[in-house]
Amino acid sequence: MPTGSPGVNANFFGTGAQTARLMLYGMLAIILMAVDQRGHYIPRVRAVIGTLFEPLYHAVDWPVRTAESVAGELRSREELQGKNDELRAALLAREADLQRLETLQEENRRLRDLLGGADSLVFETRFAELVRVDLDPFSHQVMINKGSDDGVEEGQAVIDAAGVMGQVEDVQMHLSRVRLISDPNHALPVQINRTGLRTVAVGTGETGTMLLTSVPLEADIREGDLVVTSGLGDRFPSGYPVATVELVSREEGQTFAEVEARPLAALDRGREVLLVVPQFTEEAFIGPVPAEQAVEPPSVEEGEQP
Amino acid sequence: MNRRRDNRKAFYFTIVAAMVMAIIPLPGLVQAIWPFWMGLVVIYWALEYPQLMSLGLAFALGLVLDFLTVSLLGLHALRLVILAYLVLRFRARLRFFPPWQLGLSVLALLVNDRIILLWINSLVGEPLPPLSYWLPAIVGGLLWGPFFILLDRLRSASRGVTP
Repeated sequence: MPTGSPGVNANFFGTGAQTARLMLYGMLAIILMAVDQRGHYIPRVRAVIGTLFEPLYHAVDWPVRTAESVAGELRSREELQGKNDELRAALLAREADLQRLETLQEENRRLRDLLGGADSLVFETRFAELVRVDLDPFSHQVMINKGSDDGVEEGQAVIDAAGVMGQVEDVQMHLSRVRLISDPNHALPVQINRTGLRTVAVGTGETGTMLLTSVPLEADIREGDLVVTSGLGDRFPSGYPVATVELVSREEGQTFAEVEARPLAALDRGREVLLVVPQFTEEAFIGPVPAEQAVEPPSVEEGEQP
Repeated sequence: MNRRRDNRKAFYFTIVAAMVMAIIPLPGLVQAIWPFWMGLVVIYWALEYPQLMSLGLAFALGLVLDFLTVSLLGLHALRLVILAYLVLRFRARLRFFPPWQLGLSVLALLVNDRIILLWINSLVGEPLPPLSYWLPAIVGGLLWGPFFILLDRLRSASRGVTP
């Protein structure tokens, strides 16, 4: 420990040295940012160091969670009953939808068989919750409470009840980080549900807007169109809703139309999410799948859950 | 001798508290005005007890925050190093400012900090933020007075002297 008053000394005689140190640290910070922005080294470092912070995240998350569950217990009976009725009605509507979905799935599979398609994928979803911590809003990432111990893998798609949220960026032991589709550096292969027109949805940095790129001027696209994942790129399963088209502006002289879309998922206020686990059925790559094998696994799961 | 160690206790406490403040979940409205607590902590220690706050430490604290909040690595480090540098450089003058002038200086430091953040974010490709982007700096400047008094109390309390 230096004695006397090193602070005063530094101020009166060491300003040059201090400015040099500012330059040094500033350069170092800028180099780090450039590497982080471009390279693939930092995410790995982050995954390792992030594990060290897991206790702190849990320490912040836990009281909030507890407060929420206490608030939940204090809710009145009528309120709960009302909520219950509401949910039951919603469930009934969904079940009706599901009945139709099963016949459609069957029909779809038969048609694919006729075409000799090798596209039969069965998806399973796993429930996860957002960890109640606020990360840097400019990082466009959220934390979920499932990690490598729960079988989460890098690159897995994350959806919520309304649409696609993002993909798992890196996995720690009990937590993983999800990059949201609103990130300006994130691009998602999509298609317009109505016409099948393929395009790419790029984040803008705002949670309410995405841009659809390379849409030809004369393309059939209009406001209100549903945008779904196209499954190209092998990251996201196909057919999940992503956004609705909000604005189409066609300016003459431009090569492409400017198309804005609004993400359907609650990117900035969701709490519960689903992790999509793609399961390639073994026969999928060889040829048509026998009827029972392809549809059986999910229906068994659903039967066991309640 | 004892005094330095006790200062240290208060010092570590404020640092951990500022880290928690950085990731604590908040409702949207509070989030929009939530000041940069670690920035205030660095300003305070650089001003009051510069032996504890060096540029290297500011850099290290920034890196920890970068990992913790998953921001661009080096972003908080750069912001805190610049804050610490400016305070340490002009410390002799800042120390003799009357409180309101010191408050204004802190406000200027925090606005400068937001400008740096804006600059980096625009390089990365973020859109221009709304006007409310500047609120955390203004709130930080307004809270500086109470924050300063609170930390002074904390320091004397951890030293075992009643203020």
